[in-house]
Amino acid sequence: MPRTRYILISVILLLIPVLELHGQDEKQNYGKTPDELVPYGKFQKAYKNFFDEPQLFTGAGREKPEPTGLSEVRIGFLGPLEGSVMVPQGIQMLQGATLAVEEANERGGYKGIPFRILAHNDVGLWGAAANEVVKMDDEKVWAFLGTIDDINSHVALRVTLKLEIPMVNTGDPDPTLTETRIPWLIRCIADDRQSSYALVNYIYRVKRHSRVAVMRADNRYGRVGVMEFRDAALRIGYPLVLEVRFADGDTDFTTQIERMINSSPDAVLLWGNAKETALIIKQMRKMGMEQPIYGSDRLMSPDLLKIAGNDAEGLVTTCQYNPAADNSKLKAFQKNYYERFEMEPDVFAAHAYDGMNLIIESIQIAGLNRTLIRDVLTDLKTFQGYQGVTGEIIFDATWNDIGPVWMSRVRDGKFEFFPTPPMTTDSSAKR
Amino acid sequence: MKRLNPVLRYGARISFLTMLIVSLSGSSPYNKEIFTEAGSMPVYGNWKTFTSRDGLPADKAYCVRVDGDRVLVGTSAGLAVYENSEWRNYTVEDGLAHPGVLSIDISELTGDVWIGTLGGLNRWSAGRFETFTQFNSGLANDVIYSVICDGKDVWTATGGGAGHYDTYSGSWEIYTERNAPMHEPWTYGVCAGDDKIFIAAWGGGVIEYNTGTNNFRDYIDPDGEMELDVFPDDGLVHDITTAVTYADGILWVGTYFGLSRYNGTHWKGYFDHDSGLLSNFINFLKADGPVVWLCTDKGLSSFNGDTWVSYQRNENNYQGKVLITNGNETREIDASTSISHNFVLGVDFIGDDIWIATSKGVSRGERLN
Repeated sequence: MPRTRYILISVILLLIPVLELHGQDEKQNYGKTPDELVPYGKFQKAYKNFFDEPQLFTGAGREKPEPTGLSEVRIGFLGPLEGSVMVPQGIQMLQGATLAVEEANERGGYKGIPFRILAHNDVGLWGAAANEVVKMDDEKVWAFLGTIDDINSHVALRVTLKLEIPMVNTGDPDPTLTETRIPWLIRCIADDRQSSYALVNYIYRVKRHSRVAVMRADNRYGRVGVMEFRDAALRIGYPLVLEVRFADGDTDFTTQIERMINSSPDAVLLWGNAKETALIIKQMRKMGMEQPIYGSDRLMSPDLLKIAGNDAEGLVTTCQYNPAADNSKLKAFQKNYYERFEMEPDVFAAHAYDGMNLIIESIQIAGLNRTLIRDVLTDLKTFQGYQGVTGEIIFDATWNDIGPVWMSRVRDGKFEFFPTPPMTTDSSAKR
Repeated sequence: MKRLNPVLRYGARISFLTMLIVSLSGSSPYNKEIFTEAGSMPVYGNWKTFTSRDGLPADKAYCVRVDGDRVLVGTSAGLAVYENSEWRNYTVEDGLAHPGVLSIDISELTGDVWIGTLGGLNRWSAGRFETFTQFNSGLANDVIYSVICDGKDVWTATGGGAGHYDTYSGSWEIYTERNAPMHEPWTYGVCAGDDKIFIAAWGGGVIEYNTGTNNFRDYIDPDGEMELDVFPDDGLVHDITTAVTYADGILWVGTYFGLSRYNGTHWKGYFDHDSGLLSNFINFLKADGPVVWLCTDKGLSSFNGDTWVSYQRNENNYQGKVLITNGNETREIDASTSISHNFVLGVDFIGDDIWIATSKGVSRGERLN
């Protein structure tokens, strides 16, 4: 037995240098992930890290000449415009994009040719997003902006590689969207990875909770978003005490709340759309749950304040930008948006405005050639550090926006915004 | 810090020496020594390129499929058929569901040609195109990334799920995350072998469907993380899979992150930094007996489990190179002809010829050994 053990240990020791020799050298943590949150980081160095460098597009297309005789420069839009609970957000997104195009046309369009948005609804027939992107190709758009729902975003994305259309996403926080290595997509909105890290730090390190229950939407937004939070919490030593789900459109959450009460949490995290989570907050308070409540970005909505009323006081959520920032560009956008559409812009409108401006500027630089437009959007130079109405946009090697995430707190019936506290690795915060 | 690739670094030295010897001796680079080094691997050369100037409807070719003595090419502007040294094109006016043809397969039972397009599925039979869409059939989605024939059955991979069409009964079935072990309904590749159907599921690894028992099982990356692979040989290298192929009891899986090989017992992963694989970005793959052909964004690679033979076009001229990798050694040989473009999207074989579809034209190569 001892001899066998010695042989086994020797073999393992011999193998370790081989793994080290062939493994990829690490640079910096992907997704601004703190060291302690790196997957398997405490146990094993990964053999291969995939997102250290951008995926180049090596296909043909750059040689295609610019067409002549165009009467308009077409840009596609993909979003929930009818038949979805996300229609209000889709309309805001379209309006934000429209404002950017109208302003660009006032400045002379592209060499005197006006830009025009061709809008497509992403909710229709099963897998509609794929068919709609094909239609956009038939319509000869030069790029498109969209969408919010992560299933539709993924479906649309895969077609962009076949059709080679630049895609700018401004509304889908699904972390996996930019993790596909398809080099035709950039995203200029913070993802749920960044939001989850901010929430984990705030909940466990700043507020020093240790028993967190999660109630999330039973859809991909809830599943994938909470996945990042759950993994990060676990890696710093706090497994969730409970995770329960609800469906879009539900109005009675008694069963889930009873289960949460039985799990004795010291804080609750809600991940879903504003209407359902507002009702959950009201019912939690009614059923005697007084624990602090935290939430995902979609809770930061006027709908939530309207429905939850005073019960929303103290709610803390993430927000992908600071709508109250002292930023002249933002203030001008908010003023112009209100004058044009007679409503306040939401997070989807603001990010769509930035995203559409990136498309327009890339066309101005590259000309009417999809591959060259893609090259500008993804060169990690032209728009790196872009100062948009949503703040500074910083792209990582997957063209994902890893700029700063903000937080909001409900006080006196309004959202107050504050910067995300710096990440701490202070393990002494554990109780 | 830029990652250094010891295999390629060593290969470059060998290549330089090879070129030096060749240039000094004046002998052809395609000599016996090279073929010896390639071992049992086929080596192709004398490439001929076809583009729209030669009669293709477009330069961009998504796929290529051999059908007897003719070659079918799916392009961004229609279907092209090469027969008796001439091209004949078919498009929407002829009955094609959409000009963008992504995938083609031939029914061994009937000789029917099944065509997956960006706007539906076509059966081309007896000179007539029949169109299947979401509106008139059980198709899950109109964008058909992959279509294959398995006996009387036709399988499709779409962004809305995998589809199965029984040509005898005319019935359709759709497989998604609701009735199969997929994380999501997005499927992008499908292949058949040994009474099984293998489906490349975007984000869900590979789904195996046993046609005898009607049971599913899935193969995924055990580490469950998108941004890394902890161990290369513990399962799939990544859950986002793009293509599957099966031959000689070996399942090959292409991803945009590397290559996986499964022999029914063990998995083995291959990356561009530790093997002769030209790029981790694999658009398509096809096994031909023991050899798998890998269509990447940096050229065409082939591999039999031991030796790699890859083909790349030079950036600034029509010439190219052949790279032969055995273990840690790569030998690079200049070639006077090359594939038409390094962004390779499809491959198939006819006799001693190989055909590949690329981002800019179609190439035909002749077997040299």
